[in-house]
Amino acid sequence: MNIELILFTILALLTLSSAIAMVSVHRPIDAALSFIITLISLAGIFALLHASFLFVVQIIIYAGAILTLILFIIMFLNIKDENLPKEPKKNLWLLGTSLLTLPFTLIMIKIINSANFGSCTQLDENFGSIEAVGKVLYSSWVLPFELISILLLVALVGAITLAKREESDTTKRVQEVSQKEVS
Amino acid sequence: MPNIIEMHLLSLIVLAPFFSATLIMILTLIAPNLSKKIYTFLALSGAGISAILALVVGYKSYVYNTMYSEFIFRWLDIEAFKIDFALQADPLSAMMILFVAPVGFLIHIYATGYMKDDLAYGRFFALFNIFMFSMLLLVLADNPFMMFVGWEGVGVTSYALIAFYFNDRENVNAGNKAFILNRVGDFGFLSALMLLFVFIGEYGFDFNTIMLHLNEISPNMIHLIAGLLFVGAMGKSAQIPLYVWLPDAMAGPTPVSALIHAATMVTAGVYMVARFSPIYELSFFGEIITYVGAFSALLAGLIATRQNDIKKILAYSTMSQLGYMFMVAGIGGYSYALFHVFTHAFFKALLFMGAGAVIVAMHHEQDIRKMGGLKSELPLIFIMMLIGSLSLSAIAPLSGFFSKDAIMAQLFGSGHYGVYFIALATSALTAYYMFRMMFIVFFGDKKPHTHAVPKSMIFPMIILTFFSVIAGFFNVPHIFGGHEAFSSWLQLPDRHYIVSHAVEYILMAVNTLIIAAAITLAYVRFGKKDANYEESETTLGQAISNKFYVDKWYHKMIVSPLYRASRFFDKINIHFIDHFIHTVSLLYMKVSTVVRVVQNGLVHFYLIYIGAGISMLFIYLYLMLEL
Amino acid sequence: MIEKYLILAILLFSIGIVGVLSRRNIIIIYMSIELMLNAVNLALLAVASYVGSEDAHVISLMIIALAAAEAALFMALFVTLYRHKRSLDTSIFDLLGDKKATQRSTVQGNTNA
Repeated sequence: MNIELILFTILALLTLSSAIAMVSVHRPIDAALSFIITLISLAGIFALLHASFLFVVQIIIYAGAILTLILFIIMFLNIKDENLPKEPKKNLWLLGTSLLTLPFTLIMIKIINSANFGSCTQLDENFGSIEAVGKVLYSSWVLPFELISILLLVALVGAITLAKREESDTTKRVQEVSQKEVS
Repeated sequence: MPNIIEMHLLSLIVLAPFFSATLIMILTLIAPNLSKKIYTFLALSGAGISAILALVVGYKSYVYNTMYSEFIFRWLDIEAFKIDFALQADPLSAMMILFVAPVGFLIHIYATGYMKDDLAYGRFFALFNIFMFSMLLLVLADNPFMMFVGWEGVGVTSYALIAFYFNDRENVNAGNKAFILNRVGDFGFLSALMLLFVFIGEYGFDFNTIMLHLNEISPNMIHLIAGLLFVGAMGKSAQIPLYVWLPDAMAGPTPVSALIHAATMVTAGVYMVARFSPIYELSFFGEIITYVGAFSALLAGLIATRQNDIKKILAYSTMSQLGYMFMVAGIGGYSYALFHVFTHAFFKALLFMGAGAVIVAMHHEQDIRKMGGLKSELPLIFIMMLIGSLSLSAIAPLSGFFSKDAIMAQLFGSGHYGVYFIALATSALTAYYMFRMMFIVFFGDKKPHTHAVPKSMIFPMIILTFFSVIAGFFNVPHIFGGHEAFSSWLQLPDRHYIVSHAVEYILMAVNTLIIAAAITLAYVRFGKKDANYEESETTLGQAISNKFYVDKWYHKMIVSPLYRASRFFDKINIHFIDHFIHTVSLLYMKVSTVVRVVQNGLVHFYLIYIGAGISMLFIYLYLMLEL
Repeated sequence: MIEKYLILAILLFSIGIVGVLSRRNIIIIYMSIELMLNAVNLALLAVASYVGSEDAHVISLMIIALAAAEAALFMALFVTLYRHKRSLDTSIFDLLGDKKATQRSTVQGNTNA
């Protein structure tokens, strides 16, 4: 009964319960908050796995940037409770789809349990630290690194193009505003 | 004669009318308002080339016994089943084309006069020339399949020419009748050919080879084949029971009747029996042929005595004379039959031409009761038709006398006395109805207004009259010092029945007496000044006038039931089969409306379908792996 | 020990699938997709700790960067959709389907205009 197992159990239970909560609550804001809890517990598990750099990245970027963006959009859209999509028999649906994914889950678990993993390699002190990851990132993975930056640029441009208002809308608004100012 | 033409005589004979017909047909399609002279030239050149070359072939064959044969191309080649487009002029074929092609040519000249005011002039001559091509192919073919091609060709063109004035429904019906009855005959012919092929086709299927191997077929089969072949002849040559199309065929223009239904197509049946004579020599079926011919001749003779349409009289006369030909062919006298074909072609064509001239003169009137007194108006035509009628009635020394009396002598000599008496009675009837026609049309004191008859119609008649007179001298029998040139030329397996000269003289005298009596009777009834044309109203007389109700009987027994059966099957078709198919298609539509719900356009649901499929795969995987 | 991590990853992945298939709110669907990505990250890191190579860490980093880009685009999409349709229901977009069939089926319930 080592400390790793106890920590893992606590964090795993937390992750699972918040994930289930996220999937089943009605309002998106509740779901987003549950998702944050999931992400932070997941970060803890990353830390347990000696992935110190990714633990930090997960919290800063995933929970801190992406989820913040999601929360911002949810609050920006400002949907009233009555305007949310009505989902009748939501629980029935959840039950049904979980039955659907049950074969997949069970088989995968069975495969994992019956697999012979052999002995694990001895990890050195520096494993998963920012230094080690940085070394690998900028030596053998430098091309994907550059490509990812281009991808992010594309995503940036794409997001602006998708979300901007139509030309006619802006000019109309400008005209309305200028007319109001004049009159 | 230049060698290149000599080598291809037969192909030229057959193909000249074909090419002129094709040209005429193309011209009618692309240049509708072309002058008739061009069509005349094309048609006459096609028929003329055939006629001249046929005369050459006939002469060479008769005098020097030359045989011609030409191979043009191989039409079908499927293992044992080979059909060659090949022509052959053995004496039998040479004799046939000797009169078919020239008489055809003369009738072409006649037709240019008869049809000169017709709008469908080009179409007529295209069909006429295709007919010549088919008939010559029929006669010159060297294997039965080519002969059948010609056989069918004459049937089709006969139909097209009978229904030439197709705007009138009656003419179309007549054409249909001719073709359908012909088809029944063709069924018999083709079945016989198929049987022959099955049994001896492996040795090659031209006439010479077939006749060599006939003894390999069982006797019963030979009888069956002979019978089926005769069914074909019955259809083409209008014998009982397939004769009812011939009187109706007079709906076509007169040149058609002259060429097809007097001189050529109807004689194809006799030619066929002669061509297959080795088969008939091996079978008893000849007896049946003789009797069928006898009764057909008698029936036709009887009906002709009460007909009032000039062309129908001649049609029944043709059927009657064909009966004579089959009578003697059945007892083995093939050369005698063919000799009668030869002479009959001349005088029957002449008579039809004369009838056509009379019809034209009387402004297209065909009922003889409306004619009369034409002797003074159309003297030349009267004389020519008189000669034709005398020849037909077998008065010496015209051609009909030689051929018909030879037939009667053979019948008597073979011991078929019953058939002989039928032939004698028919002879009397022939004279009676022919002279009844002559007296009613040409005698009497009416003074009708006649239309002028074109010279192109008179000129061929003169030539035919000449041949009607002298054609008999081609085959003078021994009794008169001749050598029976035909039989020795044709080399068919004839059975000559020996009749002593005395008996033959007596037979001739009896025949002539009876004919004279018949002519006198006709004169007494119709030729006198105030003859009335009333006929007796006895039941027999009525029956004869109504052609013994045969057409009505055919309609009731065959046509009506078939029509009703087809209507019944049509109803079944609509109510069951169509209904069933509609139900099946409606079922598809209904099932699809149910299944269509699955495609509701939401990608959400499509993901669920994918997920369902994958989980089923996983279940299957679980069952397969031993985990 | 590694099995437990992998089983956790599998469970999280299945929960993500359940979320995608059963919810109709588009934001919840998006978040379930993100959950699936996280499950994959977890699996990667578990194997990395076992094998001892840091390549998996780098890949995991790339996935997080990808998720960020994806988030940006998704949000832009949500904003545009909400602006046009005034609703976050996925069952509005049924142009691929047959109108008459969807009206007749009872599974859908009410659809927002």
